[in-house]
Amino acid sequence: MSLGSSLQRVGAMARAQGETRFGADLGKPGDLFLACVRAESAPARIRAIDLAPALAIDGVVRVFTADDIPGSNRLGIIAVSKDHEFLARQVVRQPYQAVALVAAETAAAALAGARAVRLELTPLPGVYHPAEALAEGAPLVHPQREAGNLLASRHIVKGDVTAALAESAVVVEAIYTTSRLEHAALEPEGGRAEYIDGRVVVWASTQNPHYDQADLALFLGVEPEQVRVVQAETGGGFGGKLDLSVQPFLALAAWHLRRPVRLVYSRQESMAATAKRHPFVMRYTTGADERGRITAVKADLLADTGAYASYGLAVTMRAAVHATGPYLVPNLEVTCRMAYTHTQFCGAMRGFGVPQVALAHEGQVDALARRLSLDPLEIRLVNALGPGQATATGQVLGSSVGLRACLEKIGPIYREWQKRPPAQGRWRSGLGLGTMFYGIGNTGVSNPAGAALEWRPDGRLILYTGAAEIGQGSDTILTQLAAQRLGVDPGLIDLCRGDTDRTTSAGATSASRQTYISGNAVLNAAENLETLVLDAAAEMLDAPRQDLRLAGDLVTGAPGGEVPVRQVVRRLSRDRGPVKASGRFDPDFTALDPDTGQGRPYATYAFGAQCARVRVDTDSGMVQVREVAAAHDVGRAVNRRAVLGQITGGVVMGLGMALMEEYEPGAGDNLHSYHMPTAADAPRITPMIVQEPEDSGPYGAKGVGEPALIPTAPAVAAAVGDALGRPMRHLPINLERVMAALTPERE
Amino acid sequence: MELVFWLNGSEARAEEVPGHWSLLELLRDRFGLLGTKQGCGVGECGACSVLLEGQVVNSCLTPAWRAHGRRVTTIEGLAAGGRPHPLQEAFVAAGAVQCGFCTPGMIMAASDLLAHNPDPDQEQVAGALAGNLCRCTGYHDVVRAVRKAARQMVEDGS
Repeated sequence: MSLGSSLQRVGAMARAQGETRFGADLGKPGDLFLACVRAESAPARIRAIDLAPALAIDGVVRVFTADDIPGSNRLGIIAVSKDHEFLARQVVRQPYQAVALVAAETAAAALAGARAVRLELTPLPGVYHPAEALAEGAPLVHPQREAGNLLASRHIVKGDVTAALAESAVVVEAIYTTSRLEHAALEPEGGRAEYIDGRVVVWASTQNPHYDQADLALFLGVEPEQVRVVQAETGGGFGGKLDLSVQPFLALAAWHLRRPVRLVYSRQESMAATAKRHPFVMRYTTGADERGRITAVKADLLADTGAYASYGLAVTMRAAVHATGPYLVPNLEVTCRMAYTHTQFCGAMRGFGVPQVALAHEGQVDALARRLSLDPLEIRLVNALGPGQATATGQVLGSSVGLRACLEKIGPIYREWQKRPPAQGRWRSGLGLGTMFYGIGNTGVSNPAGAALEWRPDGRLILYTGAAEIGQGSDTILTQLAAQRLGVDPGLIDLCRGDTDRTTSAGATSASRQTYISGNAVLNAAENLETLVLDAAAEMLDAPRQDLRLAGDLVTGAPGGEVPVRQVVRRLSRDRGPVKASGRFDPDFTALDPDTGQGRPYATYAFGAQCARVRVDTDSGMVQVREVAAAHDVGRAVNRRAVLGQITGGVVMGLGMALMEEYEPGAGDNLHSYHMPTAADAPRITPMIVQEPEDSGPYGAKGVGEPALIPTAPAVAAAVGDALGRPMRHLPINLERVMAALTPERE
Repeated sequence: MELVFWLNGSEARAEEVPGHWSLLELLRDRFGLLGTKQGCGVGECGACSVLLEGQVVNSCLTPAWRAHGRRVTTIEGLAAGGRPHPLQEAFVAAGAVQCGFCTPGMIMAASDLLAHNPDPDQEQVAGALAGNLCRCTGYHDVVRAVRKAARQMVEDGS
């Protein structure tokens, strides 16, 4: 019934009618307005902060600095790498670092106050590229760190890569680079806070309300119970709302002033002060036998975390684990290092390093195909991981391995394109393929979710979940799963979501994990709720418990007849209070060996394959992506429409990464200068769902949020390379790069 | 300044409007019409799209005084007779709403298109919506929704 259908998205009509209040829309009369004072250049030592000119402005209530932070000024998602100073104390480490916070009666006064604060900064020597940052004598971003500018280093080894490369029929070597990207969720970070009865309550757009609560408590130096975080409706995230943004400022001001406050980032601030996608430099050496079977991969990856760690450790590990792609690779040696620089910090962005390494592993497979005169689709089928085969970390895959099925799904489309006549005149046409795999959930660590379900005496249900809905659809998916398990109409289920007072943690909405992990937690809660109801029904009917079952709004199976669920629930709630059951799920994993990187870091993997058809204007360098076919193995589609929407959205975001997106600090910091795809750039997309059920998934489901984006950039890069007759290994493939690639033949 | 204009079909009056205010500020901060979103403030994202005399404009770039004596339609004024507008119905049905932050602006731009072109092809829809950024949908279902609404409106004779 509910499962697999295209049930209308929860809350969609309210959004279409403009009724939904996002974090950026929150506000009540009497709220104070906040504005951040930011240092424009970095690194620099703060000599003095003169607040007097700001305090002299009519309407300015107070200006806060780092000295006003009662607790820890070092925040961050990963416990061992908390280093993000929300208000710089002595040193500014990245451009647009906040140094002070103005609270005022009006938005205009807050902005005027922020402009009036006088900062005296002494420039310090900086380092702006990861390779330079790791060189001897480089200026240190965090001088107290023993490891200097090296944030993290991960190593994965298997077999004997040196010997295998020496024995390979062909060896290809290349360097690939990707750029720093901005999430550009349409809603800028925003929210509101109040001081209520000795506690701070924060409503904000976020991907992880329970983490926010914990770090805000640290920041204020209070117990977590003194902070309540409620996820406001969130207008997109893509990883950009995983780190704290406005929340610490809201909490600090509300705590001190005991007045309601609000803050919405301007687009400039949103772009300049929040995380970016890590730029990677990737050196690959790949060997294969004469049939194209990969024999060995040696990969050396270097990434830039900017001034703060954020999710750097997770990205380093995930990039390393996925570096050899969804292929059977018997011998490998992967090293991934990440360095601090004095640039905008990088964090989580849809794919956690996997979109970056996918450019390289796909580029290498295409290079092998060219050397061996093999068909690009054929060489991928030859190497595709299958059930029973081991990944780079030695994890033997189970049943849900849909890469081959995805390749077979896009195959006919790709073959049809191959038969088309090439473009004429100034246009060149090209085709490319990309594949991916992606481990669902966090890498090699416990990452549980809780959930609860309550059956109300009126027959309706409440689903309690800490899982942040950010547009990806978890509200709808979790509702459908609960409805399916309990056999009720999804319309009977109300949501209580993302409120640290009322829901338990579901972990972050990241790592494509909520369908699988929260989904399983919801099923567990539903099972426990069913037990509660059937136990009570057995007593009421004086019937054997094992004969009873839920059937719609009835409990059936008793020799004496049926009883309405509502009647059982009424009795239970009268006798024992709310009829509520909780559930929990934590995926099966083993930690990775610290030296060899071997282990089972994820319970399951998503797979996908895409092909792209482009044409390139040799006069201007313009690339037009004409068509993309995208097949993704999601285990089981809980909601077809939602899965297809994730795929088409991922493809277009991947197209942006391939062709146009590159964040350059200070270059306008608005959407004029950061080009992302518009409707006119979007190709014709054929999204396709492959379902290889995952035994441990909720009704077989895995996840698709990040996977959808991953193969697109490699496929587009390969297609442009095909059109130009030379590989394109550096993103974005903008006009300049296309023209440069065309230049030699013009000379 | 004092402004008198038609807002979603009713006469609206705003006193002491600061001269530098944008139409977006007027709508959100004075009239509490929060369905019109601010995504960038510089006319790049289209989240603040409204109709001014039936033409779509970026309200963040439009001075508030330009509303004086004119008709302004926002997302809140699109439904008629207690029913959502066919575009709103189609966006929901086609899966064109993901996070939904761009949706009101997208629907306003689409309503301008359909007023001038009742049967747009895919390329015409994409062209008309090129000023409205969406980061979630890849535009695929948005374009489908607009064409679906167009067909519905022709059927309804609206």
